[in-house]
Amino acid sequence: MKRLAFLLALAVAAAAPGGPAAAQAPLVAARVAGHGPIVDPGAALWKSARPVKVAMLPQTVALPHKADAAVKEVSVRAVHNGGWIAFRLEWADASRSDRVILDNFGDQIAIQLPVDPKGGTPSPMMGNPGGRVNIMQWRAAFQKDIDDGHAPSIAELYPYAWTDVYPDELLGATDARAYTGALGVENPISRGRASPVLDQMAEGWGSMTVKPDQHALGRGVWTGGRWAVVITRPMVSDDANAPRLVAGDRTVIAFAAWEGGNREVGARKSWAPWMPLVIGAPAPRAKP
Amino acid sequence: MAKVFNWQLGRDIDYPYEARRPERQFAMIFDTNKCIACQTCTVACKTTWTSGRGQEYMYWNNVETKPYGYYPLGWDVNILDRHGVQPMDGPVYQGKTLFDAAPGGEVILGYLPEDIDYAHPNIGEDDSTGLMPRGAHLTLPHMQWMFYLPRICNHCTYPACLSACPRQSIYKRQEDGIVLLDQSRCRGYRECVKACPYKKVFFNTQTRVSEKCIGCYPAVEGGRQTQCTVTCIGKIRLQGFMHAPDKADPDNPLDYLVLVRKIGLPLYPQFGLEPNTYYIPPVHVPPAYLRQMFGWGVEAAIEAYRNAPNDRKLLGALTLFGATPEISHYFRVDGDTVIGYDSKQAEVVRVPIKEPVVIREVYDIKHKAFRTNIT
Repeated sequence: MKRLAFLLALAVAAAAPGGPAAAQAPLVAARVAGHGPIVDPGAALWKSARPVKVAMLPQTVALPHKADAAVKEVSVRAVHNGGWIAFRLEWADASRSDRVILDNFGDQIAIQLPVDPKGGTPSPMMGNPGGRVNIMQWRAAFQKDIDDGHAPSIAELYPYAWTDVYPDELLGATDARAYTGALGVENPISRGRASPVLDQMAEGWGSMTVKPDQHALGRGVWTGGRWAVVITRPMVSDDANAPRLVAGDRTVIAFAAWEGGNREVGARKSWAPWMPLVIGAPAPRAKP
Repeated sequence: MAKVFNWQLGRDIDYPYEARRPERQFAMIFDTNKCIACQTCTVACKTTWTSGRGQEYMYWNNVETKPYGYYPLGWDVNILDRHGVQPMDGPVYQGKTLFDAAPGGEVILGYLPEDIDYAHPNIGEDDSTGLMPRGAHLTLPHMQWMFYLPRICNHCTYPACLSACPRQSIYKRQEDGIVLLDQSRCRGYRECVKACPYKKVFFNTQTRVSEKCIGCYPAVEGGRQTQCTVTCIGKIRLQGFMHAPDKADPDNPLDYLVLVRKIGLPLYPQFGLEPNTYYIPPVHVPPAYLRQMFGWGVEAAIEAYRNAPNDRKLLGALTLFGATPEISHYFRVDGDTVIGYDSKQAEVVRVPIKEPVVIREVYDIKHKAFRTNIT
């Protein structure tokens, strides 16, 4: 109950007019030319967007905590082309963590948008009951699966592993479904993915749900001790659990980051509260 | 934190959720004196539930040699070391539970094993505590000793795994107290793997979520005991249901053995989870070791167990072990016979407490052949 009270207090603070979010310099999604998804973190179009440095803090409200969360700052740029909005997130991470086994965790980053930008601002901490948020989370492990063309097999993770026979070798994939655990029940975390970004919604801690319709795309590249990750989504879709964003709109955006090498996962993360997000209008045409 | 009553510790403990005891609790008793670590249970569980990709290393059921066997490596000494020395005197436990000992920012004191810790499931197997010098002979308790500890998920009344999951992917069934991990809801955070002191939740690298012993619920729902129980060639296990101590039914074999006679003892009760698999302690092992592992009831349990030949009802309950695949909800001793009954009081098994002795002559006149003792 104490947790909930604190959550609500935060939500109220964030929603208050003239609150911390409003005072901050906004992240402006610059209008760029083109159409379709914007996924390349190395594209020249990012030069047209002004980077905003977002200070990240360890999540220490909901249990469990990781007080020494590693990601301290994320540099964020945003652009849109009228159809798709994209966010480029860049941060320092000396170790590239994209191999997920028991004691190895993957690097991840997420952006959060209120589903209804015109309604009251939900709690920055994954929303609150009635205050639904759209959380798009990129995962390095998914990115590696996509780059490699498949998720790592047991033989790739453990070169010396040996097994005499698997159920699917005897029964075929359909009948062996009962032996495939979460894959057999199509857990979206387990499934082979077309996008490295999970398109999700939440109304508070523990309520994160991967949406049936996946619209978010993206790509992450690790070079020289830095991740550069793009998360993109359609500005308008038929998904009732995604925001409708139109040029000129003002809304808010929040962030979370996980450094796998520091065993960050779930609530053990760094985060940043709501900051203003402005969807840039087209630049006025120069007079001929 | 809510205050919940832990009968094994004789006091209220702090737990993140309110107490809601199931109508009846899945429970199992192991007679460690009879286990020979043949691993038939382990293989039965493996072939039934964990033969898939990503489950290669998983043993929802395992049998390890104590004191030097562990799966995963050092699971109990690792958490005992972090827990610190606790007073192991009853009937009211004065020490800390793992919830009491939680560091700041954590629900419970735990640790995440290293991946390599699962690579040696039979480490320490058959290792004794030391050598027997020439001329030494064993007395009770033995000066050098080892014993076998079969283990499954304890389907705890206050599960650590459940308490640590930040998204309630783990639940305890109201109808039978079996603890299950929702395969469609889990996101593979491994908080449960870290929290469970018994290390009976496992991470699957192919599904990227965690899995655990399901108490053979499809069998249990149909009135059958678990695979590990029915395949046990040593007949060391009895699986069924038990009640809260205030509702103990002396005609229920698990209630009788655990709550009435107290010869089945919980594994590391000081952790505070109220685990629901129970052990008849090995009679030859020094009580100081057993006290740390099974609590303050070990001396009395061993005494009662050793007196079982003179204790008709106790002997009857012990004879039900491995007697039938059905779950015995009730039992009754009738002369030299013990009878097990299902939930509707219908007889499911009838076993002689003392088997008749048959002496076969060395020479078989009918077949004109000598009999050779091949056992």
